[in-house]
Amino acid sequence: MHVASLYASAIASGALKDVGLTIVSSLIALLLGIAGALARLYGGSVIGGLVYWYVELIRGLPAILQLFIIFFGLTQFGIDLSPVAASVLWLVAYGTGYAVEIFRAGIMEVPTGQREAADALGLSSLKILQKIIVPQAWVGMLPNLTSFLVLQLKNTTLLYLVGYADIMYQARLGADATEQPGILYLMAALAYLVIALVIAVAGLRMERRAALYR
Amino acid sequence: MIALWRQYLPQFFQGVGVTLELTALSLLVALLFGFLLALARLSGWRGLVLGATVYTEVIRAIPVLVLLFLAYYSLAQAGIKLSGMTAAVVTLGGFYATLYGEIFRGAILGVDRGQSEAALALGMNRRTVMRKIVLPQAFFTILPPATNQLSNLIKDTSLVFTVGVTDLMFQAYAASSATFQPMDMLLLAGIVYFVFYLVLSKFLTRWELNVQRRRG
Amino acid sequence: MSNDVVVDIKGLAKHFGDRVVFDNVSLAVHKSEVVAIIGPSGVGKSTLIRCVNHLHPFNAGTIDVLGYHLQGDVAPSKPMLRELRSRVGMVFQTFNLFPHLTVLDNIILGPIEVKRLPRAQVTERAMDLLAMMGLQQRAQMYPKRLSGGEQQRVAICRALAMEPEIMLFDEPTSMLDPELVGEVLEAIRRLAKQGMTMLLVTHEMMFAKDVADTVVVMADHTVAERGPARQVLESPQTERARAFLRRVLNPGLSSDGARRQRGGV
Repeated sequence: MHVASLYASAIASGALKDVGLTIVSSLIALLLGIAGALARLYGGSVIGGLVYWYVELIRGLPAILQLFIIFFGLTQFGIDLSPVAASVLWLVAYGTGYAVEIFRAGIMEVPTGQREAADALGLSSLKILQKIIVPQAWVGMLPNLTSFLVLQLKNTTLLYLVGYADIMYQARLGADATEQPGILYLMAALAYLVIALVIAVAGLRMERRAALYR
Repeated sequence: MIALWRQYLPQFFQGVGVTLELTALSLLVALLFGFLLALARLSGWRGLVLGATVYTEVIRAIPVLVLLFLAYYSLAQAGIKLSGMTAAVVTLGGFYATLYGEIFRGAILGVDRGQSEAALALGMNRRTVMRKIVLPQAFFTILPPATNQLSNLIKDTSLVFTVGVTDLMFQAYAASSATFQPMDMLLLAGIVYFVFYLVLSKFLTRWELNVQRRRG
Repeated sequence: MSNDVVVDIKGLAKHFGDRVVFDNVSLAVHKSEVVAIIGPSGVGKSTLIRCVNHLHPFNAGTIDVLGYHLQGDVAPSKPMLRELRSRVGMVFQTFNLFPHLTVLDNIILGPIEVKRLPRAQVTERAMDLLAMMGLQQRAQMYPKRLSGGEQQRVAICRALAMEPEIMLFDEPTSMLDPELVGEVLEAIRRLAKQGMTMLLVTHEMMFAKDVADTVVVMADHTVAERGPARQVLESPQTERARAFLRRVLNPGLSSDGARRQRGGV
C-alpha cells in the first residue's frame, strides 16, 4: 500500500492530462464530425466519397498504427511532432472519423415523414435541419456520444507509447521503478474505470432529460 | 520503397501469421465465454446475473491495454507468469467476451416472445425451445455485429506488440526503427490491416445481409 | 365552387425506373372545390397529391398551383417552392407531428419561421384553432400523449395555421382506430363547409359521397373516371371504376379498401 500512496498523485496528474486531452480532442472532433456528416449526406458524390473513404481508413486501421504513422511515420518527411501535438492530432483525426458516422446515423434515423411535414410547411433546408432534424437526432445520438467519449478516453492509453505523460505512462514509470506492477496497473485500471463511470452517469442523466417527449 | 518492402516481406508474413493465430484463439475464447456470459445474464439466477453483469460492465470500461498489462505484468508479480501470447489471448478473449455476450443476449431477447410461447404451448421444454426455436432465429441477427466486432478484434491484436508478441505491428515497428523509413514500413502493415478490414466489413457483412434478406 | 382553376394537372407521369406509378393524369381543381381521390392501394393516389406541393418530383407533364408552374423533370427553384408550400397545407396519413415540440409549438413553428409573424399573434390564432377542434387543453402536451385522432386534428391545425388556400389530405384517417375516424372526418367536413379547396385521398366512400364535389377514381396507373361525387359513386360509367367500387362497397368480398375500413391497418 506504500507504493499506492507514493504514486497516487502521479497517477492523478496523468488522469487529469488524459481527461483534458479527451475533452479538447473530442470537442474538435465532434465539430469536424458534424461538418463531415453534412458533407457526406449533402456534399455530392466527390466530397461525400472522400469523407466516406476517410471514415473507412480511420475505422479500418489499428489505433496504434495511426498514432505511429503520425508520430514516427511523418518524421520520414521531416515532420517531427512533439508528443502532445501528435497525440492531439491523432485523437482529433480518429475521433472525427467516428463522429461523422454518429452524426450521419443520427440524422438518417429521423423518420422521412418529419422532413416531409417540415417541407410541406415551406421551411427552408437550414431551418429544417436546425428546428426539426437536429433536435430529434440529438436524442437518438446521446448514447453513441457517451460511448464516443469513453472510446476517446480509452484511446489515450496508447499515448504513453509516444511519450505523453498520461495515466499509463505514470503507471509504467512506477512499475519499472518499484517492481510492483500489480498495484500500479490496478490503480491505472481503477482510474480509467472511475472516469468512464462518470462519463456514463452524465450521459444517462442527459438522455433522461432529453427524452422527455418520447 | 518496393525494394525495401520486398526485403522485409518474410518478417511481415510471419507477423501476419502471428496476428491471425492470435485473432483465431482470442475469438474462440471470446465466443465461448461470451455465450456463457449471455446465458448467465439470462438465467434468472440472481448470483449468476449479478456476477456476469458486473464482469461485463467493469471489463468493458477498462482500456484493453490496461487489461493486457494487468494480465502480463501484474499477474506475474502474483506468481502467475503468462507468456506474452497467453496473456494476449486471455486479455482479448476476456474483453471481447463482454462484447460478444451482449450481442448474443440482445439477439436472444430480440426473438419474438410469441415464438417461445408457441413452442412452449406445443409442450417443448425450455432447453429444446432455446436450441430448436430461439437460437436458430437469433443466429442471423448475430452475424453482422459479430463480424463487426471481429474486425475490431483484429485491429486490437496490434496492442500485443507492447508485451513482446511478434505480430504484424511488432514487425512493422521493428522494421521502422531498423530502416529509418518508418512511413514505408507502417504503410505496408496498414495495407494488410486495411485489407482484412475491407474483407470483413464489406464483403462478409454484405453477404450476411443478403442471406438474412433471403430468409425474410 | 367558382370557375377559377387553382390546381391544374396536365399529362402527369411518374415512374421509378421501369415501374410506372401513373401516367397521363390530368385534373383541374377549382377554388372551393372538394376533390376526393379513390382507388385501390398502390395505384399512386398518395404520390399524386404529393406532386402537387412537389414533395415528390414527377417525370412528365405540368402542374400549375396558385399560379406557380411545376414541370416534369425540372427542379423548381427553392424560394418558389417554399412560397408555394406555404400556401398549400398538407395532412399526412401518419400525422408526422414533430415529437420534440409541444402541440402549440408544432402549430406556431411554420407561421413564425416561414411567414415571420410575431409569436403573440400566431399563438393567439393557434389557440383559436385548437379551440375550434376542442383541443385547448392539449396545447402544452407533447404529441405522444395524444390519441391518434387528436394528433391528426392537431396536424390539421398545424396546416391551417399557415392560412393555406388549398389543403391536401393524404389518407388522413387510415391509420386511426375506427372509433377515432369520426372526429377527424368531422373536422374536414367543417373545412369543406367553410369553402376550403381540398384534394383528399381517402378510403371512406360514404364520406367522399357526402363531402366531395368531385370524385376521381384511379386505377391501372391513371384516372379511370372522374365526375360529380354522387354520379361516380352510384352509377360509374367505366368498367374499371365499377370493378373497384363493387369490391369496396360489398363488404362480404375481400378487398384492401374494405379490409382497411374494418380497422386492420
